[in-house]
Amino acid sequence: MTRIACIHVPMFPLAARLRSEPDLLNEAVAIVDGDGGGAHIIAATRRARTKGIGPGMSLAQARSLVPKLIARARDTECERTAQEALVEVAETFSPRVEDAGEGLVFLDVSGLERHFASELDLGKAILRAAEDVGLPARCGLAASKLASRVAAELPKSPTVVEAGTEAEFLAPLPLARLTPELDAASTLNRWGLTSIGDLARLPESEVASRLGHLGRELHYAARGIDPRPLIPRPVPQEFHEGMELEWPLVALDPFLFIASAALDRLAKRMELQGFACRRLELTMTLEPDGFHSRAIDLPAPTRDVKTMLTLLRLDLEKTPPGAPVVGFSLAAHPDRPRRAQLSLFGPAALSPEKLATTIAKLISMLGEDRVGMPMTVDSHLPDRYALGSFEPPPPPDLRRGPRRSHGLLAVRVFRPPIPVEVVTRPSRPDESGDVQIEALRGEGDISGEVRTCAGPWRVQEGWWSATPADRDYWDVELSRGSSYRVYREDAQSEWFVEAAYG
Amino acid sequence: MRPAPLRPILLPEPPLVESLIEAPAPDSVRDDVKRLRESLKGTAAAKLMNATELLRALEKERRDEQLPTTLDAFDSLLGGGLPRGKMVELTGRRGAGRFSIVLSALAAATSMGEAAVFVDLGDHLDPRTAEEMGVDLQRVLWIRPKTLKQAVMSAEMITATGFQLVVLDAGTYPVRGRRAPEAAWVRLARAAEAHGTAMLISTPYPATGTASEAVIVAQRTRLQWHGRGKSPRLLLGAQTELHLEKHRHRKAGAVTTLALTMEEGRGLRAEGRGETPAPHQSRERVASPSALSPLPSALSS
Repeated sequence: MTRIACIHVPMFPLAARLRSEPDLLNEAVAIVDGDGGGAHIIAATRRARTKGIGPGMSLAQARSLVPKLIARARDTECERTAQEALVEVAETFSPRVEDAGEGLVFLDVSGLERHFASELDLGKAILRAAEDVGLPARCGLAASKLASRVAAELPKSPTVVEAGTEAEFLAPLPLARLTPELDAASTLNRWGLTSIGDLARLPESEVASRLGHLGRELHYAARGIDPRPLIPRPVPQEFHEGMELEWPLVALDPFLFIASAALDRLAKRMELQGFACRRLELTMTLEPDGFHSRAIDLPAPTRDVKTMLTLLRLDLEKTPPGAPVVGFSLAAHPDRPRRAQLSLFGPAALSPEKLATTIAKLISMLGEDRVGMPMTVDSHLPDRYALGSFEPPPPPDLRRGPRRSHGLLAVRVFRPPIPVEVVTRPSRPDESGDVQIEALRGEGDISGEVRTCAGPWRVQEGWWSATPADRDYWDVELSRGSSYRVYREDAQSEWFVEAAYG
Repeated sequence: MRPAPLRPILLPEPPLVESLIEAPAPDSVRDDVKRLRESLKGTAAAKLMNATELLRALEKERRDEQLPTTLDAFDSLLGGGLPRGKMVELTGRRGAGRFSIVLSALAAATSMGEAAVFVDLGDHLDPRTAEEMGVDLQRVLWIRPKTLKQAVMSAEMITATGFQLVVLDAGTYPVRGRRAPEAAWVRLARAAEAHGTAMLISTPYPATGTASEAVIVAQRTRLQWHGRGKSPRLLLGAQTELHLEKHRHRKAGAVTTLALTMEEGRGLRAEGRGETPAPHQSRERVASPSALSPLPSALSS
């Protein structure tokens, strides 16, 4: 049997706003719709309501009651992200979720009875999950969308309507619960009907002949019959958070303070779905007009807010938007976080999530081109290299011994090569090349008489390109004991120390 | 890329093994194992353990191991290799063979399938040379900080990730960023101990102070060349003297000689014996210069 749960957030525009600005929770706050004289209140906090402020009141009337009333305009961005968060909460319980908009979500909870002791426990778990994303919700469970919605709108939450008892559940409730925004409600009142049960007791054909097709549907609803199926929403490709600001921000730190809260919400939402952020996109609305967008690719999927915030800070410091910011939207592209199982008998594997977070922190501290996996390039010049993203292969299942070292003499490459003055003499007939090196005149250790010298060896590379390399190499040992690899750039006859042995 | 379809999380995912190490086994499991032990006799009972005990035993065994560099002269000074969970300092001037030892340590660790970190303060690594020395580059995280402070911070951060070998090469004199406070080295040594990481610090002058388990000083003694006279034709290798200056559990003062060669499979004593190799024959296979394509002397001028 189908069981449907409905999650409903009362006064949704206010709840969405308070989710973005939790500091206002205990203040007298009202959400205002419309401009100028037409501005009217659509929702207010408990503190404002106790002082007589209610929906439909103009802002001037409300201010006359509470002069220090904090009025906030309706923020569509906040509401959109709050709705997304609500849907994601539902998706942690069931894959079949319908987004009904405006703080209303239906989810198919059939088959969940094995995971929860009772439907009441399931309802409580749903409410706790909604609270975790900052939304005070109510929940109703029933066999149809209509009954579950009506149950969710009741003050007592969660409310469970047993299967087959929908009509009994609805009967004592006022008609307004059934059709809150329907014009037919006033007609039914004129007939003297006050409760849903009154309507259900009337003959269906009589109601249909007077109110038409709508009347028939209404009569079905009053009897607890709701043939509308649940329409699941498609999988989201990205997660959004953002808000419109009350005043333009010029400095970076205040903006990051607000962005940090948005990132925190994003991380929590992704955690609910078992996702991590692979790419972060920031779109800022600028004053007086225009947008500024940027994208940050994370080195590995992560949910670490600190890392994402640091990367965002560095990116904004590097290329500031150039105008005051009046709104922003953050989009996180989700990816599965990396997981690995530790091995009992092989070398210990690295925790992929921890590694990704640390690499991201290192990149934010040192720069993107300074952390990664070393890679060789197709070149004979040792100062050339490439850097790839560090994704080590899994360790072997069984521990193995080290491969025997060859005891090779390594070179320390100098990047860039160090220019040096060289004293040369013409080669003798038994020596190779045109000159041999007598002494080096460089800085610090790279200076002194040459004790032994070998070379030259010629390296020619990229003769077809704009920057060809045409070099003669020598190995030299100085009288002090240090040894270097020196080369002469043929075109310019300049000398450089490229590497030191050891 | 489109993410995989959503999956509702109804039950918590099974814990990773690493979290099991921290968490003790539940009482019921302990009781079961106890009863089973009592029913067995002698060695069989001693060998019986639950998964948590097994993991702890393996972890302890792993920490007692040493990570060999496979350079006998170096390993023998430390009693078999770099001790896990300890910091070893290797000092020596430019050309003393420090970089060769560093790359050998990376090669040995990565050949065992371990991931390793190379914090390269001087930006001296040539990936091709490293590859020819046997380093599995895919298992190496290369970090190139700009100052010594950044290098020590990076090493500390990455140690906490669980790498089994962290090598910090401070480059040559003068070190970028001069000195790091001793407290930073102490913290780094504690991080190594906490995570069972073998840590090798290569510096041109003593830097780690009391934080290191052992200090080895490298001194270049001589280079060996192929050929005679003032201008011979090939560099064959070098000999380095290694002094154990300090060790917490071994007697200091031991000296060994490390022979480093330019060509795989060719010892230093090969000089003077046999036929003189033509430059192109030997240079193609040397570790460095990595892929120089030498020409016979008559053509190179």
